[in-house]
Amino acid sequence: MSTDDIPPSSEAGDDETDGGGGVDATPVFVWGTNISVQDVNAAILRFLRHFRDPRDAGRVDPVMDEGKYMRAIHRILELEGGESLDVDAHDVFDHDPDLYSKMVRYPLEVLAIFDIVLMDLVARIEPLFEKHIQTRIYNLKSSICLRNLNPSDIEKMVSIKGMIIRCSSVIPELKEAVFRCLVCGFYSDPVMVDRGRVTEPHICQKEQCKATNSMTLVHNRCRFSDKQIIKLQETPDEIPEGGTPHTVSVLMHDKLVDAGKPGDRVEITGIYRAMSIRVGPTQRTVKSIFKTYIDCLHIKKTDKSRLHVEDTMDIDSSNASKSTEEDFLSDKVEKLKELSKLPDIYDRLTRSLAPNIWELDDVKRGLLCQLFDGNPLKLPSGASFRGDINILLVGDPGTSKSQLLQYMHKLSPRGIYTSGRGSSAVGLTAYVTKDPETGETVMEQQTVSIAKAGIIASLNARTSVLACANPTESRYNPRLSVIDNIHLAPTLLSRFDLIYLILDKADEQTDRRLAKHIVSLHFENPNLEELEVLDLQTLVSYISYARKYIQPQLSDEAAEELTRGYVEMRKRGNSPGSRKKVITATARQIESLIRLSEALARMRFSEVVEVRDVVEAFRLLEVAMQQSATDHATGTIDMDLIMTGISASERQRRENLVAATRNLIVEKMQLGGPSMRMIELLEELRKQSSMEIHLHELRGALGTLMTEGAVIIHGDNVKRV
Amino acid sequence: MVGPQYDLVGNPLGAVRATFERTAAAAASESGGADPVAAFRGKDWGAGDLFRSFLFEQDGLGKVPVLDASNLGLIKPNTLVRYRGMVQDMLGNEYYIGAFKDGSTWRTNKYTDFSPFSMPHPCDSHLWERHLFHCVPAPGQNSWTLESSPGPDVRRMPNCLAPELREKRKRDGDDDAMDVSENGHGESSFCKKPKEGDVHVSSSSTEVAGTVPEMNGGDHHIPGSSFSCLVKIYDMPESQVKLNDVIEFIGVYTFDPELAAPSDNPDDIMLDLMEDVTVQLPPSKVPRLHCLVWRKLSSHDFISRPVVEPSPSLLKGIRQSLLSHLTLVLGNDELAAQCLLLHLLSRLRNRVDVVTVGRLSLNFAGFNKESASIFGNQLYSLIQKLVPYSQAIPLSIDYLNSATLQPRKDNKSGRLVTGVLQLPQGTHLTFDETLLQTGSLTSKGVENTMLLKNLMESQKVDYDFEYYKLEMAADVQLLTLSEGKSNILPSDLVVPFRPSSVPTVNAGAEETESWRWYLATVRSLPQSTEPETYQMIQDEMVSAMRDDRSLGCSELSRWLTMAQIMASSFGEKSLSLEHWHMVKELERLRKQRMQ
Repeated sequence: MSTDDIPPSSEAGDDETDGGGGVDATPVFVWGTNISVQDVNAAILRFLRHFRDPRDAGRVDPVMDEGKYMRAIHRILELEGGESLDVDAHDVFDHDPDLYSKMVRYPLEVLAIFDIVLMDLVARIEPLFEKHIQTRIYNLKSSICLRNLNPSDIEKMVSIKGMIIRCSSVIPELKEAVFRCLVCGFYSDPVMVDRGRVTEPHICQKEQCKATNSMTLVHNRCRFSDKQIIKLQETPDEIPEGGTPHTVSVLMHDKLVDAGKPGDRVEITGIYRAMSIRVGPTQRTVKSIFKTYIDCLHIKKTDKSRLHVEDTMDIDSSNASKSTEEDFLSDKVEKLKELSKLPDIYDRLTRSLAPNIWELDDVKRGLLCQLFDGNPLKLPSGASFRGDINILLVGDPGTSKSQLLQYMHKLSPRGIYTSGRGSSAVGLTAYVTKDPETGETVMEQQTVSIAKAGIIASLNARTSVLACANPTESRYNPRLSVIDNIHLAPTLLSRFDLIYLILDKADEQTDRRLAKHIVSLHFENPNLEELEVLDLQTLVSYISYARKYIQPQLSDEAAEELTRGYVEMRKRGNSPGSRKKVITATARQIESLIRLSEALARMRFSEVVEVRDVVEAFRLLEVAMQQSATDHATGTIDMDLIMTGISASERQRRENLVAATRNLIVEKMQLGGPSMRMIELLEELRKQSSMEIHLHELRGALGTLMTEGAVIIHGDNVKRV
Repeated sequence: MVGPQYDLVGNPLGAVRATFERTAAAAASESGGADPVAAFRGKDWGAGDLFRSFLFEQDGLGKVPVLDASNLGLIKPNTLVRYRGMVQDMLGNEYYIGAFKDGSTWRTNKYTDFSPFSMPHPCDSHLWERHLFHCVPAPGQNSWTLESSPGPDVRRMPNCLAPELREKRKRDGDDDAMDVSENGHGESSFCKKPKEGDVHVSSSSTEVAGTVPEMNGGDHHIPGSSFSCLVKIYDMPESQVKLNDVIEFIGVYTFDPELAAPSDNPDDIMLDLMEDVTVQLPPSKVPRLHCLVWRKLSSHDFISRPVVEPSPSLLKGIRQSLLSHLTLVLGNDELAAQCLLLHLLSRLRNRVDVVTVGRLSLNFAGFNKESASIFGNQLYSLIQKLVPYSQAIPLSIDYLNSATLQPRKDNKSGRLVTGVLQLPQGTHLTFDETLLQTGSLTSKGVENTMLLKNLMESQKVDYDFEYYKLEMAADVQLLTLSEGKSNILPSDLVVPFRPSSVPTVNAGAEETESWRWYLATVRSLPQSTEPETYQMIQDEMVSAMRDDRSLGCSELSRWLTMAQIMASSFGEKSLSLEHWHMVKELERLRKQRMQ
């Protein structure tokens, strides 16, 4: 019968013949189908005794004679701890698919038998072992989206991923009650609690006493167990557009209590249950509406977020051994690995990044490096180097900087917020100012003006920073340094590995491409060429996998290339004709280059950083530097522009002016003699010098001389001392 | 199907059950009695069809009372009602016993919160599910939209009037109104002034306390909204309904005082811990509606005008009358009026990654407090008359520091706490930035500013889910009135406002209605552009860039948006060079003013 068009979301599909809603039916009814207790019993015993992990196959070790779970049982007995046996459902499936399907479909019954078989087995090995060992199943063949749970999953074993959003306090639950007679002091035998109720004996059991209504509960002799309810919510990636997350209650018993805390991403394996609600005092309103919850068997913490991998959480001790690659299904991994072998993977990744944002390929390559990241390094000496790559985009308004930023924000996992409680910038305040002339309003944030030159977003909750700044003037002034254009502190600026200038260039070809791009955004233009790109989901998986599993190391050749290139870069600083050395590269650049090269190797899933990675890293750095660190007076790359905001040629000029001023003063003024007005000095200087000199420049030069103790300045008057 | 057999308005559940029992019996005899109703899970067995045909084919819609704050408490439980509201929160699924076997008969509990027959225990039964949506009146909904589809006056419908109230009416001896409605002409009298003796909630509230829902006044999750409704929807994937959709639900209104009573089961600690979201929405405050039929509402659904073919000549005429009216309201500033028209016709047409296409936010600069109060108020009251949902926001430091703009999930109560920016698609917002003075923004102020900016730049609102933010797509028209160009809310189009006369306004009702129709129609007009146009536009752009190096991607993209709207505004389905030049001319005039 396939009339039911909502398929059960779990693989434990409900046969129509079983009655889709056997909720009220007693287990016997469900039991009555085709399952014999003896068969299941035998199947479980076979599984526990004989299951062998295929991964153990090659090993020759006497201990390996026993199956995986027999060893686990022995371990439990030896340690006298761990009162539960974790059973990987994949193992059950591999060993006996029929047992697996019975277990998933009738978990209450099968798990009860599991426990009995297990205790029998234990009793035979260690007759004196008294603790109860519980079977905890995990890692079902497939997990269900929370929102796809439906009535046909009730009473089935399910596996669900989600985020814990609330935990109740721990509730002690009475399991066995002990009573004492108030008359004779006799203690009763433990009375089992049955469905939340305990029957108080109304007569004292002691033959000699037999007092009635004398029994009272003795709390410290009762046996309690812990219980807790947590709320599990869908993770953001499972929520469809325009939807809100679903939640489900999960009941945790004993050892599972407090196994997770709010904010954790977990995978829960448990039994989906429904409980009738008593909605009104009369019989007729009972049992029409049900509450549902998952009775938890196993909880496993999963990654916090898609890209945030450094702090992979402590996975349950029981299965810590098999944490690698489990989040990536193996066929998916194969697909990613195939992609990584494509010769054009670098270009393909570049194309896939913000495909609707026009051009800016080298900027996108830099951003890719940021997404893939370098390796953070901690030396034994305690010195540590960051692995993250910081990027600043500076440019004309109207270029797609902020769109690029938003795209990166979207690509970075939604879950990055999970690492910090309270996701927004805490304590960030701002000041609103209004221009008295134009009435324009501006929001000033700390020292950076948000409207004009603001750092708008950071990519990652950790430390990779992607920032974007508009020039203080309406357009970028190529005659000024980056610092002068965006008014950002040099110390802050030097933290960026790559600074890109995105400027609007006049060029017919570019204009035409831009026009075509805009038109294609507005009309669904079928004529546009389709380049092969990775879809967003694949791109994210690709990056996550690389960041998690690929830790490239510098090859010797690559290290050599790095040194060679760096030396060459510094050599170029000796610009001909200048007697002063212009620094073109700083030590900080070496670190940047290593990080970029590592990221580039990661893009190919390569464990080795090769020469070509280093060459490309140099190219990326130079492209960015040519844009942002070119001294427009000399045409050379000058890192001083970034470090101090003053280019070497400008510094040279200032030094020359100080010298000229010093000479002039020595020439024209006597020690302790009468003072001269600044404006007179300026005129004299202008006569002597071919260069244009401004009063404020002279003032600056005189300031330097005053600190040397050569002159004293009183207002506009200068005195030689 | 058989219509008159049932009183679908007065006793919808009767029809639901009768069709169920008949279909179940037929299925049972066919299948030899195995389990005939298993197939009915998530399916309509014919009840929905019955109601759809009654509502839409037999003109039944007009006979169904509209449930709103004014008649809540007057309407008899278990009758058919209509409710128009915005989906404010999605509360997940509820499982209930959908069908059970009572002796040899299968019965259903669908479309109700309780079983009408006592359920044998134990019995054969089926667990079904339904989706729960919390709905509120659409924020910013303008009053004219309410007139578009009035329901009949429930006070004149004895089959739908709560029994206590009916009794009271009888005692009052006012038989006049009763006669009318008993003759079946109740719906014609809705516009009559309520007579003395007609029932008002206020006058009878003490008498019926505890037996009718009270208003949900104290719900801090939806401040300002006094009336919400818990809608239960059947037989559809949840994804068909999106947050902030405005929907008309037609279904069974239920209210059961027994359900309203708190649980009497104190020893079951489990229940307390698994407290349901619905506990927050007690039936005594929030009515339940079991939905039989629903449809999403677009702005067209609020316009009572008969359906006319939107021919270019008709649209052109209305365009002219609307434009001259806008010009008058804007003190004879025609450039501003042109831009305002394009702005009012803009809508989000496409979203590619982070790039949005079609939006056109507008900033009128050059206001001061006085002119903002004169022109601003006139302008805003006109907008209110033209669009279904609109709000005016006073953008002061105080407002930014204190207002709750961001919707936030309260994980403790399990509900979404609404914020100003939880809005239906197509809402118009007017910001008055003339109120903004120099001052400090607290972190909340900064956060609010960022939200507004983000809405403006990418038409998205981040909802706060405590552990992460969920981005919700929006389609909101944004108009800012400011002194200088606003850098806090950077609009797509900045127009220095230059009025030359005081605003004059006087628009006839019929004119206003035609403008509403015009706006709704033009906004939904499909655009089909010929490939030749692509080339033409590209050439135009390249030559524009040659003439003016300051033109960038975003500006040219905006020109194209404006040109497309310009074409639609004349009722043209495709863009021509003429429209492009009109926009270029507008831009030239605008830039002149900017200097």
